[in-house]
Amino acid sequence: MRHIQTEILIIGGGATGSGIVRDLALRGFKTVLVERRDLATGTTGRYHGLLHSGGRYVVRDPQAAKECIEENRILRRIMPQCIEDTGGFFVLTPGDDPDYVPRFVQGCQQAGIPCEEVPIAQMLRAEPLLNPAITQCFRVPDGSADSFLAADLNAASARQHGAEILTYHEVDRLIRSEDCVVGALCHDLVKDENVQIDADLVINAAGAWSGAVAGTAGIFVQIIPGKGSMVAVNHRVVNTVINRCKMPSDGDILVPAHTVAVMGTTDIKVDNPDQFGIEPWEIRLMLEEGEKIIPGFSGLRLLRAWAGVRPLYNETKSGYAAAQNREVSRAFVLLDHEERDGVKGLLTITSGKWTTYRKMAEVTVDKACQKLNTARPCRTHLETLPTPEGHGGTGYHYLGMRLAHIEHEAEYGHLICECELATEADVTRAILQGEAKTLDDIRRDARLGMGPCQGGFCTLRAAGLLHQLRHPAVIEINVALRDFLKERWKGLLPILWGQQLRQERLNEVIYLNVLNVDHLPGGKASRLGAEMYAPPAPESSPPEAQRPAPAEPRIPSTSHGQPGLDVLVIGAGLAGLVAAWQAAWRGQKTRLIAKGWGTTHWGSGCIDFLGYDSPEATRPVDSPLQGIRTLSSSNPQHPYALAGEALLAEAISEFQALSTEAGYPLHGSLDKNWLFPTAVGARRPTCLAPETMLAGDLSLRTPMLIVGFAQCPDFYPSLVAENLNAQAVFASDLLLDLPSLRSRRFVTGMVLAQLFDTPEFRREVAEALKPKLANAARVGFPAVLGLDHALEAMHDLQERLGVPVFEIPGLPPSIPGIRLHKMLIAEIEKHGGRVLDGMQVIGAETEGGRIRAVFSEAAARHKPHRAEKFILASGGILGGGIQTTNTGYAQDTVFGLPIDAPPARTDWFQPEFLSAQGHPIFRAGLTIDQRFQPLDPQGQPIYTNLYAAGGILGGCDPLRERSLEGIALVTGYLAGQAASLGAKQP
Amino acid sequence: MTAPQHPVEMSLDQCLKCNICTTACPVAAVTDLFPGPKYQGPQGGRFRQPGQPTPDHSIDYCSGCRVCNMVCPAGVKIAEMNARVRATLVEQGKVPPMQRLRNNLVARAATLGKVAQPVAPLANLALSLKPARWVAEVTLGIHHQAPFPPFASQQFGDWFKKHPRPTNPTRQVVYFHGCSTQYYEPRVGRAAVRVLEANGFEVLIPPQNCCGLPLLSNGEFKAARQYHKNNVRSLVEYARQGIPIVGTSTSCTLTLKEEAPELLDMHDEATRLVAEGTYDFNEFLLLLHEEGRLKLDLHPIPLTLAYHVPCQYRAHRLGRPGTEVMNLIPELKIIESQAACCGIAGTYGYKKEKYAIAQQVGSELFDFVRQVGGPVAICDSETCRWQITHATGVPVVHPVELLAAAYGFELESPLAEVAALQAARVG
Repeated sequence: MRHIQTEILIIGGGATGSGIVRDLALRGFKTVLVERRDLATGTTGRYHGLLHSGGRYVVRDPQAAKECIEENRILRRIMPQCIEDTGGFFVLTPGDDPDYVPRFVQGCQQAGIPCEEVPIAQMLRAEPLLNPAITQCFRVPDGSADSFLAADLNAASARQHGAEILTYHEVDRLIRSEDCVVGALCHDLVKDENVQIDADLVINAAGAWSGAVAGTAGIFVQIIPGKGSMVAVNHRVVNTVINRCKMPSDGDILVPAHTVAVMGTTDIKVDNPDQFGIEPWEIRLMLEEGEKIIPGFSGLRLLRAWAGVRPLYNETKSGYAAAQNREVSRAFVLLDHEERDGVKGLLTITSGKWTTYRKMAEVTVDKACQKLNTARPCRTHLETLPTPEGHGGTGYHYLGMRLAHIEHEAEYGHLICECELATEADVTRAILQGEAKTLDDIRRDARLGMGPCQGGFCTLRAAGLLHQLRHPAVIEINVALRDFLKERWKGLLPILWGQQLRQERLNEVIYLNVLNVDHLPGGKASRLGAEMYAPPAPESSPPEAQRPAPAEPRIPSTSHGQPGLDVLVIGAGLAGLVAAWQAAWRGQKTRLIAKGWGTTHWGSGCIDFLGYDSPEATRPVDSPLQGIRTLSSSNPQHPYALAGEALLAEAISEFQALSTEAGYPLHGSLDKNWLFPTAVGARRPTCLAPETMLAGDLSLRTPMLIVGFAQCPDFYPSLVAENLNAQAVFASDLLLDLPSLRSRRFVTGMVLAQLFDTPEFRREVAEALKPKLANAARVGFPAVLGLDHALEAMHDLQERLGVPVFEIPGLPPSIPGIRLHKMLIAEIEKHGGRVLDGMQVIGAETEGGRIRAVFSEAAARHKPHRAEKFILASGGILGGGIQTTNTGYAQDTVFGLPIDAPPARTDWFQPEFLSAQGHPIFRAGLTIDQRFQPLDPQGQPIYTNLYAAGGILGGCDPLRERSLEGIALVTGYLAGQAASLGAKQP
Repeated sequence: MTAPQHPVEMSLDQCLKCNICTTACPVAAVTDLFPGPKYQGPQGGRFRQPGQPTPDHSIDYCSGCRVCNMVCPAGVKIAEMNARVRATLVEQGKVPPMQRLRNNLVARAATLGKVAQPVAPLANLALSLKPARWVAEVTLGIHHQAPFPPFASQQFGDWFKKHPRPTNPTRQVVYFHGCSTQYYEPRVGRAAVRVLEANGFEVLIPPQNCCGLPLLSNGEFKAARQYHKNNVRSLVEYARQGIPIVGTSTSCTLTLKEEAPELLDMHDEATRLVAEGTYDFNEFLLLLHEEGRLKLDLHPIPLTLAYHVPCQYRAHRLGRPGTEVMNLIPELKIIESQAACCGIAGTYGYKKEKYAIAQQVGSELFDFVRQVGGPVAICDSETCRWQITHATGVPVVHPVELLAAAYGFELESPLAEVAALQAARVG
C-alpha cells in the first residue's frame, strides 16, 4: 500500500473538485485530489454545457439567478477558452403561459441580468429553424461551456501550483480517528493497489456520490440523485442557446455545444447514482418538446443520448438547515460536519450547478481556511486559466476554430477523428501529456469519437496510436479498443434509428466484418471501462409504430420512359452488381440504377461465405459448406437455404471464372475457410480471397513483416504484428517513412493505391524495405497495392523483395472492394448493360400486381424506368434499402414493402455493441420465396415481376455470420438468373 | 450564406463518413491542395456558422464537377455545399481582389463575347498571341495555355434572324443557346435549329443572358441571381404555355433546372415553371422519339467516335440520353469514356493556379480520346469540348451536329473536314 501525506484531500474530480483544488493550490495549500475515473466523467461531463446567464432561475430562485450572472461574468473573464459566447434566447412558444413573461423580465432586472426583447423577424434571421409561431423572444448573456476542458484547465492550473491530481483512484472509505476524519483509503484502479492518503482536512466534492462517501465515515448525508437525460443533434441546428420562457421544466433547453446542439433535460429521482438508464419516454419527450422549438426536430439526426445525475441535497437536520440558509445560497450546499455532526476534518460541498462551480470552490476553501486557522484570500476570480496547447487564441472559443487551425496548418491529412477534426498531434498530446489511461480519456481531451460516426473510424486509429506511442501489452490495447466501442454504443442505444442506425451498421462492418475485433485476444472489457446505462424499463403501453408518410408523388415531367428494358436492377452494392451482371450476361437488356455506390467500398474485398456458425463460436468454421448445411437445417428461411447448395456452388464457380477472366482472380472454395490477418491483427475467416491476399494465409507458419506508412493514419503495423504474435504467428513490424510521402499533405489508402500502380513508387518502397527484411519470409501491407494494376504491383514487389507480399484489409474505403466494383461494372457493360449512379429511386407505378415502372429523382423532374422485371438490391439498413423511424417502424425504401422488424424499438438491440447474438433489427428484412420474390404475409409474391437480393433480405445477420459478400453474391446471382428465366440463355 | 439551416447544408446529416466520395473525386486524386469532398462538405459543414469568418481556404480547389454527389450513397449535396461556402468567401471579401477580378472576367462569357465578338479577328489575334497570353497570366492569373476558342465571325443570333424559316411548323419550341453558341460556336446552334425545324418545330429565341453558372461556380451569387431572374422573366411565359425550353449546353440547362434555384434559394413559381419546362436537347429528342414523332430519316455515319458525357450532364441524372440519340444514327459507333471529368469544370481550368490540375484531371479522358482515334470526338458541353481539343488536338462536336449531319444538312467545320462523311454523302 502506498502512503501519501497532504494538507487537504479533495474527493471528486468534477467541476467542483477541480475548482476547489485550483483554489486551494492558488492559496498555497498542499493538496491532493482523487477521482475514481477521469476528470469530468461524472455529472460534469454529462450536462448540456449551458453557461447560465441566470435567466432560467429569475422567477423560481432569484438568489441562484444572481449568483449565475455574477459567476457568468467572472468565468467569461478567467476562462474564455472554455466558453463560446453564443448568447441565449428565451422564447415564448405556443401554449406557454404569457403571464410568465412580465415576471421573467422583472426578474432579470432585479437579478441584474441584461435582457432585451428581440423582434421575431430578427430572431428568425439569426436562427432560421426556430418555430415561426414563437410570439416573444428575449436575449440574455447565456453561453456554451466546455466542461471537459474547464476541469482539465483547472487541474492543470492546480498542478502548476503544486497540487497532485490522482485519477482512477477510487475512495474505499474515509479514515476516521475518533471524532475526526484524517484521510481516505483509496484504490488505484490502474495499478490495482491500495493507497492511503492522510490529510488535515478532507473535502468531499463527490457530487451525487458524496452521500456515499460521507457514509463511509458514519455520517448520514441524504443525497437524492436526480437523473437528467439529454440528446445531441448531429449538427448545430441553432447557434444561440434557446430556453423556453416558462417555469424551468423538462426538455426546455437547446444548447449549441461545439459541433452539436444539445436538447435537455429530464429530472427523475433515482436510487443509486451508478444505476440508471435512459428511458424511451425521455427520448420521446425531448423530441416532442424539441418540436415546439424547432418544427421538424424529431426528424433530425440524433447523434447520441446521455444522462447525468444531479446531486439533490435533502437536509435531514432541521436546525442545521436553517443555519445554512444564512451562509450560502440555496443553489449549493456546504456542510461543515464538525458543526453538523460533530466530526472534525471533513467538509462536504454539494448541489449547485456548473456555472457556479468557482463560487462553490471559493466558499468551500474560505471555510477550509477558517478550519485550518489561516486567512488566505481567494484568487480564482482574478487569474485566468492556462490556454491549452493547440488552442487558436486567447479569446472565446468559436465553432470554426478547429477548422481554421487545420486549414491554416494544412493538417487535414493527419486527422485521427475526422468528424471532430482531432489531429494526430491532439491525440498524441492527450496520450502523452494528458496521461490518458483509456481511449475515453483521449475523447474528453481531444473530442475523439464525438462526431457523427461515434468512433467508427477513429477507434482503430486511436488504438493504433496508443500502441505505437506507449507499447503496452497488446491485449490491453484490445480491451481498450473494445471498451471504447462499448462506451460509444451505450449513448447510441437510446437513439438508434434512421441515419444514425445506418451509421452504426457501418461501424459493425468495420469492427466485426473487416477487423474482427470481437475475436481479438484479451478480455471483453476492463475495469477502467465505462459503466453502462441500466436497460430501459419495459413500457406498459409503448406508442404504436408509425409508418412514415410516403414521399409526395409528383407527376414525372418526362412521359413514358425508355421502352424495351428487360431487367432493371436497383442498387450498386455487390448483390446489385452481380444481379445486373447475370441478367446482362443472359442477354437481357439490363440497366442498374443506384443512388450511389455501395458496400463493395466498405468491406474487405474478400467474399465471406460463413465465418462462424453460431453466436457463441470462438473458432471460425473450417468448412463454410459444412457450416451452411448446419445453418440451413436450423434456419430454412436463410437465403443460403432458399438458394440450395447446387446454386451456391454454381454462383461461386461462375464468379471465380469471371474474376479469372478479368485478370483479378479470387481463390478459395466452399470447403475451406482461409484465415488472414486484419488491420488490428485478428484472424479473419473468409472463403474467396484475391490473389493479393493469399500470402497472408495464417495456416502457414513462416514469419511475416507487417509494413505501414508513417504518413497514413489508417494502418498501425505494430498493433497488427503484436496481436499476431499473441496468437502464435511470428510477425515483426516496420513503419516506413518515405521521402516521397513526406511532402504530401495527405496519404490516404486511395493515394497509396494509385502510387502502387506506378513502378517508381514500388521501387522506392522496395529499396527502403529490402535492407530491413531480416528473416521475414513474407511481407504484409495495408490493402492498397494498386488500384488498376494490383496483380502487376504484387508481382513486381515480390520480384524486387524476393519474398511473397500480401494485403491486409482495413478501414474503408476498401481498395480491394473498389477493384471488385470496377470489375463487375466492366463486365455488365461488356454484355450491353448500363450502370447509372446518382439515381435515387423514389417511387413506382404498379398495376395489377406488376410493377410497370420506377421513378428516379432527376434535376427538376422524375425519370421513369420501365422494365419487364425489377430486382431490388437496395441494401439493408446500411445500404439504405431499409428505412427505420424513431417510432420503431421499418420498411423498404423503394416500394414501402414491410420488413419483419421486432415491433418495439427497444427490442431491436442487445445491450452491447459486440453482443455475440447480434442485434435483432439487423436480422430484419424481406421474406422471399425460392425464386427470390418478396412475399406478402399470406406467402404470395407481392409483385409478379419483382425479385430481391442482398442486404434487404431477412432471415440472416450477414455481419455476425461473416456471410456479407457470400449472401450478396449468391442472392444477386439467383435474382439475376430468376429475372432472366424464360429469356434465351447464352 | 452557409447557415447549416439551408436544405443544402442540412443534407450533411446524411453523411456516413464512408469516404466513397473521396475515392471518386477527380481533383483530390491529382492534387493534395484539395482535401476531398467529405472533408470539405459534410465534415467542414459542421464547423461553419453564419456570420463567423469562414475558415475555408482549400475549398477553392473544388472544381464543382459533382462527381461526389453522384456516388454518395446517402444523398449529401456536397458540391452545392462547397459552392455555397465559396460564395461566403466572396461575400466576406476573402477572395483577393485581383483573383476576384479574374474570376469575374472568365465567368462573364457574355460580356466578353459582346465586346470581343464584333471585333473577332482582332480579338482572336490577341488570344492567339503568346506575349498577350503571358501578360494575361501575369496580370490576371488566366493561364497562358488555357483553351480559349476563337470568336465566331458571325453571332448565332444574327444567323438565326436571317435564316429561312420553315413554312408550316406544327409546334413551337424555345431554344436556349447559351453564350458559347452565341459567340464561339454558332455551328452548334445552327445544327440545333435545323434539327428542330426538320422535326416540324418553329424555333423561338426569346431574349436571354448567360445562365449564370460560371458566376455560381465562382461564388458570385449576387450577379448570378440577377442573370437568372432575367432569364426566368424572359422564359416563364413560354413555360406557362407549355412550350418546351431546350438547350444544347448541358450546364445552362442544369442551371435553369436546378443549380440556380437550389443555390440561390429561388423557389418562386416562375423559377419552378422554367425549371420544369427546361429540357436538355437529347432528353427532348428522346421524348419526341418515345411519342413516335422524331424524324428517323437518317443517313448513316460510318464512324467510330469517342463520346465523353460531361459531369454537368451526368448531374442531370437522366442516364445517357446523348448516347441513345446517337445510337439512332445508322452505322455510327459510339464509345463512351469512363473518365469522371475533363478537368476544365467550366472556368476552373482557365485559372493560372489550377490549369495544371485540370490537365491532370483530364488526362484519363485525353488518353481515351487519343486511343479511340477518329476524326472528331463528341461532347455535349462547350468548355469540355475546348479542353479536349486543347489537350488532344482532336476536334470535338456536340451530338446534335452529328444528328444534323445524319439528317443531311450541310456539313460545317469540323465535320466538313471529315473525309468519311463527305464520302458517305457522295456515295
